[in-house]
Amino acid sequence: MVTPDLTTSVAGIDFKNPILTASGTFGYGLEFTDFLDLNRLGGLVTKGLSAKPRKGNPPARVVETPAGMLNAIGLQNIGVPVFLEEKLPKLRAYDTKVIANVFGATEVAYVEACEMLGEAEGVAGIELNVSCPNTEEGGMIFGTDPAALGHVIRICREATKLPLIVKLSPNVTDIQLMARCARDAGADAISLVNTFVGMAIDVERRRPVLANVCGGLSGPAIRPLAVWMTWQVHQAVEIPIIGIGGIMNARDVVEFLLAGASAVQVGTASFVTPSASANIVTELEDWLSERKITSVRELIGGLELPPRG
Amino acid sequence: MILDKTVNVVANEALGNGNFLLTFAEETIAGEMLPGQFFMVGMPGSGILLRRPFSVCGLPGTFDDSPGDSLQVLYKVMGQGTQVLSGLGTGAALTVLGPLGNGFTVPGPEVTPVFVAGGIGSAPYPALTRACAAAGCPDPVMFYGARSAADLPLLDWFDDHCGELHTATEDGSAGEQGLVTGPLLRWLEGRDPTTYELIACGPDPMLHAIRNIAVPAGLRCQLSLEAHMACGFGVCIGCVVPTHGEDGAVDYTRICVDGPVLPAEKLAW
Ligand SMILES: Cc1cc2nc3c(=O)[nH]c(=O)nc-3n(C[C@H](O)[C@H](O)[C@H](O)COP(=O)(O)OP(=O)(O)OC[C@H]3O[C@@H](n4cnc5c(N)ncnc54)[C@H](O)[C@@H]3O)c2cc1C
Ligand SMILES: Cc1cc2nc3c(=O)[nH]c(=O)nc-3n(C[C@H](O)[C@H](O)[C@H](O)COP(=O)(O)O)c2cc1C
Ligand code: FES
Repeated sequence: MVTPDLTTSVAGIDFKNPILTASGTFGYGLEFTDFLDLNRLGGLVTKGLSAKPRKGNPPARVVETPAGMLNAIGLQNIGVPVFLEEKLPKLRAYDTKVIANVFGATEVAYVEACEMLGEAEGVAGIELNVSCPNTEEGGMIFGTDPAALGHVIRICREATKLPLIVKLSPNVTDIQLMARCARDAGADAISLVNTFVGMAIDVERRRPVLANVCGGLSGPAIRPLAVWMTWQVHQAVEIPIIGIGGIMNARDVVEFLLAGASAVQVGTASFVTPSASANIVTELEDWLSERKITSVRELIGGLELPPRG
Repeated sequence: MILDKTVNVVANEALGNGNFLLTFAEETIAGEMLPGQFFMVGMPGSGILLRRPFSVCGLPGTFDDSPGDSLQVLYKVMGQGTQVLSGLGTGAALTVLGPLGNGFTVPGPEVTPVFVAGGIGSAPYPALTRACAAAGCPDPVMFYGARSAADLPLLDWFDDHCGELHTATEDGSAGEQGLVTGPLLRWLEGRDPTTYELIACGPDPMLHAIRNIAVPAGLRCQLSLEAHMACGFGVCIGCVVPTHGEDGAVDYTRICVDGPVLPAEKLAW
């Protein structure tokens, strides 16, 4: 049996396989070394980083909902400088692509974070989070207003030479419009989706379960929505797409690839099973072998539509 | 090292009123686990997505009749996850991630451990009782409160293994009627605080009350906290409690890695 070729390329970054981990669900990577070999991963995306550290929202911050979970962490993070000083040197020891996920409260703060990352050795690219639903100034405005989105991408584009992946918010009416906007402003690739805004109520106490009132929905519950948005964006723009949303196994990965994604990110699954991302790499290899598919790239955008009758 | 293992249920014994004692065996985790640490327990194929946090109740040797490498979890049915767990029979598969968290600091040899438990908050004390004995502590004094008598699981075990056992129930069906802080305050009255250490686990209002007793009086006090958790090993940053930071400002501390046991004076709630 021939080993299938898992390599893929997004935004000029060559990944050994299409499995990355999603921001906020994989810490800074190093927390997972008890559970998996980081060298197995195509790449890892850091927790959202801002120029300065952030404390985040009051608890309760997470709750399970049907086939998913709501979170309102509020982008608590160690800040870019501490990441560069304490985490990145250790991550350099691994043969995997490190993508820094970045956000800011203002345009200036986005630029500041991008500049700080500069051309730091070991950072393969920047993923701009313009779509966090959980903080008043967490970038949601940038993710839902086309003009604001275009502008923040343009100034970040000028601030860094690193490949720029723009992570879109699904909380919009027209995802194709946002994708075109991102492309026109200079995004090298698009990742989607971030979480959907949702709410859970404790009916006995008549109060929201999360202290933040609303939170971001992730997990298998959002997968069909995310696959649909991937397909729509695939039809709207030619830049590569990283698909995200409720991926639990190799079959789910293939779904995103067929819808047009060139790579994927595994999120909530890493909470359920810490080794999930690496397990999925193995599973994907087997899935392809069993079907005698020689390269994962054959699947990208390979959806076949039934003839209309 | 944190291990992720699939285990089979050895026993899942109903103790009445929705309280259960779950037993499974896992040698490596058992060998590394300390009292006050916890597991994230998953129920594969159940439709429950996230694992649920449970303290270790019994380590090998805690309960006389349980086999060598077995571990126990004492739990109460609260919602969907614990409902599913309570329906599992012998042989059912569970995923168990552990040991997680920091665990209790066992008091010094001359220091009497004073356990305060609210209902299912008694879960971590059997394992801790054994560790205190091994460290040469005097027999623990336990204050065990709940809504009613049916919510005092393992009462006989504590009666056998603690130096003193004081119970209180809100409906008066066992022990003194009222909150567990009643008998506790009387016991503390006039006692030399260097001779004992408070350890509390239970619902938030009880922990607040204990904190308010301990901190102003400068009593040594460890609290075992709860929070909603998604991961249990430090990455989701979901399980935070407000604590006093070094600069005097409030910090959010993850209780799955820096807890679940924290000194009462650290908390800013
Ligand atoms: C460190 C730690 C140790 C614990 N040890 C024990 C124990 O030994 N025995 C025991 O019976 N219970 C223990 N708990 C509480 C137990 O985890 C919850 O009762 C359980 O998660 C409820 O799940 P459910 O699906 O039945 O309830 P649901 O209310 O349906 O749960 C919905 C969501 O809320 C979360 N949740 C609800 N209540 C709690 C709570 N009190 N604490 C944390 N998360 C909660 C669940 O994890 C889940 O995400 C512990 C909690 C923590 C944090
Ligand atoms: C607890 C939690 C924290 C997250 N934090 C971030 C973040 O800091 N930055 C970001 O861009 N996305 C963040 N996300 C979104 C995920 O990266 C991902 O887009 C989303 O969870 C959907 O994927 P999933 O269904 O596989 O989890 C977070 C998600 C969760 C559940
Ligand atoms: S439960 Fe995820 S960080 Fe504590």
